[in-house]
Amino acid sequence: MPWKDRYTISDEKSIVDSAITWPDGKRCCFRVVVDLSPACGPDGIEPADLATPDAYYGMNGGLAALVGMLDRYHIKATFAVPAVIAEIQADKLRRLAGEGHEIAAHGFKHEDVSKLDKDDERKRLARTTEIIARAVGQRPAGWFSLARPGDKFAGGAISPNTVDLLLEGGYEYFGNGLADDAPHYWVSDFASRRAILTLPYYYHFDDQFFLLFPRKGTGLENPDSLFRNWKAELDAQYKRGRHFSMVLHPHAIGWPNRLHMLGQFLDHARALPELWYATSVDCAQHWSGTFPAATHLKLEASIWQDYPGSLN
Amino acid sequence: MDTAITNDLDQDLAALKAKAADYGARHKVIERVEWPQDVRLAVNFTADFDTMLLRRLLNEPPQQLAKGEFGGRVGIWRLIELFDSHDIKATIFTPGRICELYPDSLRAAAKSGHEIADHMWEHRVPKEPELERDHLRKTIAAIEKTVGRKPVGTRSNHSRELLLEHGYIYVSEDSMDHQPNWLSAPDGSKPILNLPFHYAIDDAMFFSFAWLGSDNSAQRMMDPDHVEEIWWRMFEQCYRDGGYMNICMHPFVSGRALRIAMLDRLINRMKALPGVWFPTCEQVARHIIGAR
Repeated sequence: MPWKDRYTISDEKSIVDSAITWPDGKRCCFRVVVDLSPACGPDGIEPADLATPDAYYGMNGGLAALVGMLDRYHIKATFAVPAVIAEIQADKLRRLAGEGHEIAAHGFKHEDVSKLDKDDERKRLARTTEIIARAVGQRPAGWFSLARPGDKFAGGAISPNTVDLLLEGGYEYFGNGLADDAPHYWVSDFASRRAILTLPYYYHFDDQFFLLFPRKGTGLENPDSLFRNWKAELDAQYKRGRHFSMVLHPHAIGWPNRLHMLGQFLDHARALPELWYATSVDCAQHWSGTFPAATHLKLEASIWQDYPGSLN
Repeated sequence: MDTAITNDLDQDLAALKAKAADYGARHKVIERVEWPQDVRLAVNFTADFDTMLLRRLLNEPPQQLAKGEFGGRVGIWRLIELFDSHDIKATIFTPGRICELYPDSLRAAAKSGHEIADHMWEHRVPKEPELERDHLRKTIAAIEKTVGRKPVGTRSNHSRELLLEHGYIYVSEDSMDHQPNWLSAPDGSKPILNLPFHYAIDDAMFFSFAWLGSDNSAQRMMDPDHVEEIWWRMFEQCYRDGGYMNICMHPFVSGRALRIAMLDRLINRMKALPGVWFPTCEQVARHIIGAR
């Protein structure tokens, strides 16, 4: 068995709080990711998924409400966009990019790639990069694979080849990793130390799981719980001098009762004087430049063994 | 229609009475533990150091493994730091194979005086007796090699007699009572102490998506304030009655920054009251066994 393959994706211990620095002497990174995929199943966005009130609201009224709120706080966000949405909504995305927001890739149509063979996944990835680059006028630097509401696990699905294909496709970062709450390196080959910078994600800071989840008519509305999770994490990370990120879905957070709560949270954030508001690509570039894998990815020789009668 | 219902009612009665009597005879609650002088309540902070191993065992996808990995890379270190800052001695139940993945953290925990105990070889107890024995021995050897001391307790369903044979003095697994209790053969022989924990005082119940196969409409996505109050109510009543409380944590869950902050608040609230003892499970077990 190669190294700790299929057990771990990175080194044995995370960077300690005191070693982390942010630009301009800021204390903690603050990052907002907006998921522009409508609710869909594991096959990705189907025509019917675009003909729903929520999908319409998410690209129109909900999006406008959210962008208005972000503007009020001068926050530039990262929009994670499936290629098919970029194709359909090119005008809106160009406008967002022109206003300083980042447009990142979010799959061809937010499909589950975990069972695809490598060549198929490679083709979809290349096509996605090309479509978004053409729609926005600039190729995406980052790739997201966020969870769909019906997924069994809330972490988002990737395949065993995804990380290698992202590196091959020229991506600077992968946007949603769960092995750390600071940027870290996702290793795809331990022998050659091949790795991609990965930005942290955690489902407790993702609005979709608290707002009528899994769907209208079945889930409970828990905006207070979402607010308390955001606030508790931001306060704790600010104290540590680390990193905070949240994921928002315009079709969910744009609705006025929820937008009001988001405003209260952003008021709280604004009271913290040393936050560095960054897009994902800004955060990734700072991290790669300050804590490059060559010096900061510490892969020690493994003492892991295979045993008869055990997992291998 | 398939049914297990038969019309032999006497046989039903006899079978059910026998089973209830057998289960009852295997369990004995300690009505009142006499703690050391001035101690009113013993609180065990326990951490199940599964990290990604259970996820791997269940063959879950890469993102799930990474979610568990947080426990080994980040969470365990924060828990050690938290307990040390409060001079609390905790118990870390570790699968034997984790000794090969995160040895430094286990050595650091042991160095701070925390107990390193058994949580199975790879988070399962094999049904085959010989393989079960093999797994238990591998775990003992791995822990001894890593921290220099054999485990004396386990959080598992390993067979009681096998555990006793290997020098174990307690288990911390089931919740047939909120007080410590004895597990034994039906005639009361070969007892082992159980230090119970309850699933409502377990971080994963509230914070871990898809825990134990729960489906999406059954997610219990809560926030730290809410859980702090549930756990504080438990503590208040235990404190009033005097007795025992076990808080079960997982480094990949409680090691998240927002929850470390919550545990810090909770510990401060507990410490503000006189007579609260924060020992390891082994210390509790040795005290109870010594007073027997």
